[in-house]
Order: sequence, then structure tokens, then C-alpha cells
Amino acid sequence: MDKNRLDLFRGTLDVLILKALIWGPLHGYSITDLIRRQSDEVLLVEEGTLYPALWRLETKGLLTAEWGLSENNRKAKFYQLSAKGRRQLRQEMQTWDAYATAVAKVLGATQPPLPEDIG
Amino acid sequence: MRPNRLWRRYDRLTGADPAADVKDELRFHVEATIDDLIVQGWEPEAARQEAERRFGDVRAVQHIGERMGEKMERRKHLSEYWSDWVQDLRYAVRMLAKAPGFTVVAVLTFALGIGANTTIFSVVNAVLLRPLPYTNPGRLVSVAESRPETSITGAGLSWPVFTELQDHTQVFSAVAGLAGHALTLTGRGEPADISTVAVTPDFFTVFATKPLLGRVLLADDGKRGAAAAVVLSENLWRSRFGADPNIAGSSVTLDQRTYTVAGVMPVSFHTPFFDQTEQMWIPLVQDPLFGGWTTRPPQVHWMAVIARLRTDVSVSKAQAEMRTISPALASQFPEESGWVLGTEPLQRVVVGNVRPQLLLLLGAVALVLLIACANIANLLLTRATSRSKEIALRIALGANKRRIARQLLTENSILGLLGGAAGIGLAWWSMSALALLLAPGLRQNYPIRLDGFVLGFAVVLSMAASLLAGLAPVFYAVRSNPQQSLREGAGAGEARGSQRARSFLAAAEVALAVIVLVGAGLLLRSFSRLIAVSPGFETDHVVKAEISLPRFQYAKPEQWNAFANDLMMRLHARPDLRNSAIAAPLPILDGAITLPFVISGNPPLAQGTADTANYVTASPQYFGVMGISLMRGRLFTEDDDDSMPPVVVISQALAKRYFPNQDPLGRQLIFGFTPQGHISRQIVGVVGDVHDVSLASKPGPMMYVPFAQAPLWGGEVVVRSRLGTAVVADAIRTATHAIDKDLPVTEIESFPGALDASVAEPRFRTLLLGVFSGIALLLAAIGIYGVVSFSVSRRTREIGVRMALGASPARVMRLVIGESAKLLLLGLAVGIPAALALTRFMSTLLFGIAPTDPLTFGVVAVLLALVALAAAYVPARRAMRVDPMVALRCE
Repeated sequence: MDKNRLDLFRGTLDVLILKALIWGPLHGYSITDLIRRQSDEVLLVEEGTLYPALWRLETKGLLTAEWGLSENNRKAKFYQLSAKGRRQLRQEMQTWDAYATAVAKVLGATQPPLPEDIG
Repeated sequence: MRPNRLWRRYDRLTGADPAADVKDELRFHVEATIDDLIVQGWEPEAARQEAERRFGDVRAVQHIGERMGEKMERRKHLSEYWSDWVQDLRYAVRMLAKAPGFTVVAVLTFALGIGANTTIFSVVNAVLLRPLPYTNPGRLVSVAESRPETSITGAGLSWPVFTELQDHTQVFSAVAGLAGHALTLTGRGEPADISTVAVTPDFFTVFATKPLLGRVLLADDGKRGAAAAVVLSENLWRSRFGADPNIAGSSVTLDQRTYTVAGVMPVSFHTPFFDQTEQMWIPLVQDPLFGGWTTRPPQVHWMAVIARLRTDVSVSKAQAEMRTISPALASQFPEESGWVLGTEPLQRVVVGNVRPQLLLLLGAVALVLLIACANIANLLLTRATSRSKEIALRIALGANKRRIARQLLTENSILGLLGGAAGIGLAWWSMSALALLLAPGLRQNYPIRLDGFVLGFAVVLSMAASLLAGLAPVFYAVRSNPQQSLREGAGAGEARGSQRARSFLAAAEVALAVIVLVGAGLLLRSFSRLIAVSPGFETDHVVKAEISLPRFQYAKPEQWNAFANDLMMRLHARPDLRNSAIAAPLPILDGAITLPFVISGNPPLAQGTADTANYVTASPQYFGVMGISLMRGRLFTEDDDDSMPPVVVISQALAKRYFPNQDPLGRQLIFGFTPQGHISRQIVGVVGDVHDVSLASKPGPMMYVPFAQAPLWGGEVVVRSRLGTAVVADAIRTATHAIDKDLPVTEIESFPGALDASVAEPRFRTLLLGVFSGIALLLAAIGIYGVVSFSVSRRTREIGVRMALGASPARVMRLVIGESAKLLLLGLAVGIPAALALTRFMSTLLFGIAPTDPLTFGVVAVLLALVALAAAYVPARRAMRVDPMVALRCE
């Protein structure tokens, strides 16, 4: 399992957190859980980076937080997407798509590009 | 899994604690991991270790979280603060709108106080604070000579001293001498006398100013024998030369001599001491008058000197060097002994005598503002009483006291800012009149403006004033006990301390008003003494006009004499102008000429000392026209011309001081004014004393010589006639132009009018202080009225009881008036000693009375007593009309 684990690119964590919260309010533990399961155990979010990221997003107003009770009746801090967070997610997903497509094109190329100025 | 708001509510009750939040959140994460591991089959203890291992460094994450949490808290506070403020603002505007009477009175009071302060400050800013309009003005100094034993200060330099300074100075990077008079410009429309400053070559270097057009005067222009050059001021260039862009190089005629225009100076350039809007600058050596004084140095200190300090030299160091130069100069030039060179920052010299009166006015308006603040504080205290129920209710409903204090202060600062805005309006409106505070020369150099600095001052002052006025009321409002206030009715539930504060404020207003009124009273008394001074001459129906002969055309004294004789003959030919004369200089209106003299036959005076007297040259009718009375001997006659032995008429002061118990008639005085050398003259008469310099200074010794024996290039024509100024002016002009059509006749005025203008400055400052003291008196009256009237309304019941028990209305009235008297006496007891302590600072502005003048103090006390009585009268009448039955039933 450990050899499949991928380091998250810088900035990717934020968009993953935002996406995880699109389904509804979650606390920090279930956010890591969701990302792990949704990526088929490939993406493991470290706690040491998750919480600072959550707090940063909260400070920026992309998330709102609320104290609540967890599944097993413990006091937990739940995060929820704000309207601003939703907008941010949409924008970052587009950027990510464009980026991924571009990278895929380069990596999947079977021949060198044509010379640019033939004429 | 839905978030439960219960925790959030708990969180709110204790207040936010970001550190605990972070800890809780992380602990939850670890415990959730353990739960999962146990479900997967781990032993509880192993599961805990594994969970902690997976998390890594909890402390580090916790630390990050705490820091971020604090930051968020701070941000939240700030935004809450602002939203509270907006809320306060809205509430305040609503409350003020609900009490329009109170709001208008408070705003007007602030407006008077702030307006007066802004106005005076704008002048202070223009004159005392704003730097002179030159490059690096702090380095500019004025150099002058003084003569400690005769208490002459600020005299000009003589030519040899100036050249010595210019050639050998260690402390100045450039030194310039300047002297001003007028030259006659001809060939460009009407002949006109143009104000001319004769300057030494370094003049423009000292000011480091660039010309608008062409070039400034250079070192070569200052050489003897160079072509005569002139620099025009922008205004002169526009008005007389049609703003011709190719003016440089063309020639102009001044005093019948040709000068080449070198350049034009911009309108922003001002010449210290000799500033005129239309003027010109010529090299000193080219000046028809002063040019001569450089070759044949007469013993007069005539040249103003301005220098620029070297960058590494301080004013005090320059001053030290001046002190060491003086003895050296005295050994080189014997006539210099007794004179001491000195230097002072140019700014201080230029604004010199304006400073004390500006500071006086600034002090007065500051006091007015304090009175205004006390008044508003009183109003606010009264209002706080009627609002005590509202405030108590808000405190009872959970508002904290700090919030309420803040809200009340917001209300006050709105009042202050509204008042400040109205005050700025007042200041703007009175700005143009205020220029009268400054002499005409200063007025141009120091334009009075409402610039950003003055506006900033006004805003800061209004905030400070509203805070000051609001402190006591806020203190009492917040300190009061809400339960008590709610239980009792409005009006009665009022701490006794607040009433005491109100009385204290009213007494303070009286005390402050005493100071302002005494100051105004002293100025008024000294002004009335000043204008009551008999100048020693009689000026009713006297008209004066100045005629200056171009010296290149009228080069010889015989020509000056011939012109004067011709002019007098023409005027005397008309019976209604028979009473006319020519003389120079005129008392008070012209600068005095002070000359040293020697009494022939007396032992010589010690080296470096000299007796001096003011010199006037006059035609025989002068004494008659001016109403100067003959005491002994005879006046001049037409026979006292240059073919006869030289004679002199002296004033009584000279006779008394220098010929005590002797007969001066027949004795000889030796003296002389340029271009004559020292001549021995026989004393033929003694005339009455005249205030030669100003009304305020004592008449000194005077020497009069016949114009025919000591002519000048023109002079002042004085005519006593019942014809009226315009007719006489026309006659003088006609007679002058019949002799020479190119001669300008200037400064035609009625003598009384010109004298009146000479006291414009003291009159205006008296008027201003009078206005301020009027405001102070009015505010103090309102203050006393407010306190007494409020106390009457509060004591309605008590008064009712007294009346029911048989007190007569007169007794009730005495009770109320007594309250006002108490305030008055307290105010006087503090105000009079304070005024005594402060008025000595204005002694330089007083004339003929002491700063402790008992009459002024007495009148002020009586005036305030009358005002206090009047202010108490209305509430007293109301108290007398209290119906005991109604008063007792009302609660």
C-alpha cells in the first residue's frame, strides 16, 4: 500500500478538500477518509498538512466551521463549503482539467511535434 | 451527522477560545483513528500508539492552529468594532435629530469656538509657521547693526561695514545689501514712480531664485562703469510692458537715464522689507541716489543686509562671528565704534512685531473655545439627566457601560464635527477681512489661506473639543445607578455630583471670560489713549502729496530749490491755497531721519557716542500749515536761503535736554544730511514737540532747517485748505505739471486719513479681541442661565414647599439670584488673579496703561455681575411664579 502512495502536488490538497465537502459537512477525520477511499487508497492526506490547510481555507472564508456531534457522539468540528468556496472549487477544477489534459497530451505523445513555421 | 448548534451556543457563552478549539479538534481526530483501528481488530493500547504514530507531531500542528486562530479572532473583533461604530453613528444621528434645539445650540457654540480658532490659526500658520517662499529659507538671515547704549536696534549697515562683511565673511555663502525707493519711469504711458530696489550683485544668489525670463543681475552688473541693467517684476512687466516675451535687451528710461532690461522675476518672488507687486531691481552702483553713497560714504546706516548661511554654519555660530568682527571694524572705521553687528533668522525679522499680537489673539480664541466646551459640557450634563432613564434601561437590558460611553462620545464627536464644519465656514467667510492684521508688505508675502494644514487643525481641534466637552457628562451618565434611575422619575434621579460639576463649569466659564474681557478691555483703553494723543500738530483740512524729482535730470541742489520755489509760488498764487508748504520727512507718515549733532562750544563727547535728533527740512510756511507752535525766537522766513547764514529751529525736547537752564537761541549746532556735509547752524527758534515717529512713542529732539538752505530732490507738499482733498490734489497736480509734465505726484491723501491708517493695526486687533470677548461674555451668560434655570426646574418642589411655608416671592427670587451670585463670585475669585498673571505678557501691546489697570478690572467685574444678574433673572421670575399647590401635587 505504501509504495502506491503518491505525494500530493502543492495546491492540489485545497481543491481535494473543497471537492470532498461538496457532498455535505464533514469533520477532518472523515475528509481524509473520503479522499483515501475515493482515490482507491492511493491518496493519503497527512494530518500535519490537512489541518493547517483546513484552517487556512476557513480563514479565507472558503469554508465555514461549526461544532457538532460525530457518528459516535464525540464533539467534532464540522466544515462546510461557503458560497465563495463553491465558486473557488469550480474554478480550480477547470484549471486542473486544463492542466491534466495538457500533461496527458505531452506524456501520451507518440511522435515529436511538427515544426512550427513550415511556411 | 448534522451539525448541532448546541456546542456553538456553549462556545458563545464563555467567549471564543481558539487554542482549546484546536486541541479538541486534533484530539477528536486521534480518537476517531483509534476507534477505526479497534474495529479493524487492534488491541486498544496498540491502536492508541499506532494512531499517534500516524498523526506525527501533534504539537507542531497544534501550534500552527493556535496562531491561525488568534489571527482570526483579531479580525473578527475589528469587524465587530466597525459594525458597532456604524450602529452608534446611526443611533447618534437619530438621537440628535430628535432634539433639534439642543443640537443647533451645541453646533453653533462649537462653530463659534472652532471658527475663531481656525481663523486666527490660519494667520498664525501663514505668518509664523509657513516657511518663507525661498529655496532653503532656514539658511537665510538678516544682518543688522545695533547700538546698545542708545538702544537703537535693527539699523542698516554702512557701506564700509557691508564691503568688509562681503569680502571677509567665514560664515555666509553669499551676502547682499539692498535699499529701496522709487524711480520715475517715463516713455511708457503716464510717467510713474516705480518701487525700485537697489541691490548688490549677490542679491539673487542669496535667494537662489531663477528668473521667469532673461537673466538676473550678475556680478558684472555690479561693477562700476558697467552698462546699467534692470530686472522687472512679473506684474510690472505685464502692466507696463504688455508682457512682451522679447523684453530682455530692450531699454527703459528711469529717472531720465537708460537701463537695459536683463530679465523678469516671477510673481512668486518677494523682496524682504521692500515687497511691492510692481517693482524692479537695479544694481546698487547704478542707483542715482544710493550709488553715490557707496563712493562717498556718509555716516548713516542705510543698507538692509540679507545673507545665506553656509551649510555647515548655525545661526548662533554666525552670531558669534559677528560679535568678533565688530571690535575689528571699530578700530578700522572710527565712526563705527559703539555699533554691534548682529544676525537673526530672516523669518523672525520679517514678521517681528506681528508675533506678540498673533500670540495674544491665539490665546484669546483658545480661551473662547474652552468656554464653548464648558458650555457644551453643561448642555450635555443637563441632557444626560433627562436621558438617564433611557441609559439606565439600556444598561439594565445588558448593554455594557463601555459601549454606552462609546456611543455617547460618538454622539459628541458628531456635534463637534458639525460644529467644526460650520466653524470652517465662518473662518472662510472672515478670511479676507483678516488680512488687515498684517501690514501691507506682509500681506503679500504671507497670503492667508485655508490650506490642508489649517483644515486638519480645525478637524483635530473639533474632535479634541468634543472629547473635552463630553468627558464629564459621559462619566456621570455611566456612573449613575440604573436601578435608582428607573425607580425615580426623570429629573429627580440625578446624582448630586453632576449638579456640582455643572456649577463648577459655569464658574470656570466666568473665570475664563474674565481673562478674555480684561485683555480686550486693556486693548480698548490703550487704543483710546493712543488716538487721544495730541501729536503736536493739527491736521484737520491738511492734504499731503509726494513729489520726487528724477535725479539724473534734476542733478543739482539748485535745481531742487528752484523747483520747490516755483511750485510754492504757483500754489501761493491762489488765495485758498496760500497755506501750503514743502517739507520732508513728514511726522509719523514718513520714516524719520535721525542725525548725530554736536553743540558748538561744548566739550567733545567720548569716542563712540553721539547726540542725535530727528531732522526735517521745511519751507517757512510748514509750521503754520501743521499747526506747530513757536515757543521762543522766530520761525524761518523767505530770506533764509542759501545766501544767508545757516539757521536751525529746534524742538522743545531738544532745548530742554541739551540746554537745561540755558538760552539755546544764538547757539550753534553742527550737523548735516546728505548731500551736504556737516554745517554749523545758528539756533533761531524753539517750537513745540511733535510725535515724529509714531503716536505711541514719545516726542524726541527735533531739528528743522529751511528747505532753501538744505533742499532735497522733491518732498512732501502739505496744504491746509477747506477746498476738499480732490480739489487740492488737482491743484497740486496742475501746478506740478505746469513746471514739468513728466513729474508724477503720488500718495495724495488727506492727512487725517493717512494718520488714521497708521493706527489701523492696533484698531483691528482691538476690534478682533473685542469680538472674541463679546462671544466669551455671551457664552458665559448662557452658561450661568443654563445652570440656574436647570436648578430652578429641579427644585420646583422645594420652592413650592418654601412658598407654602410662607416664603415671600422676593425671598425666592433672592434664593435663585444668590445661586447665580455664588457662581459669579467663584468665577471672579479665580479669573481675576489668573488675568493679573496673564496680562503682563501683553504689556508690549499696551500704550499708556499698566497691564494691571484697576479700572479695566473693575469694569469687567461689574459687567460680569450685571450679566450674571440678567442671566438669573428669567429663571428667578419663573421660580417666583411657582404655584405651591401644583408643585406639591406633581409627585
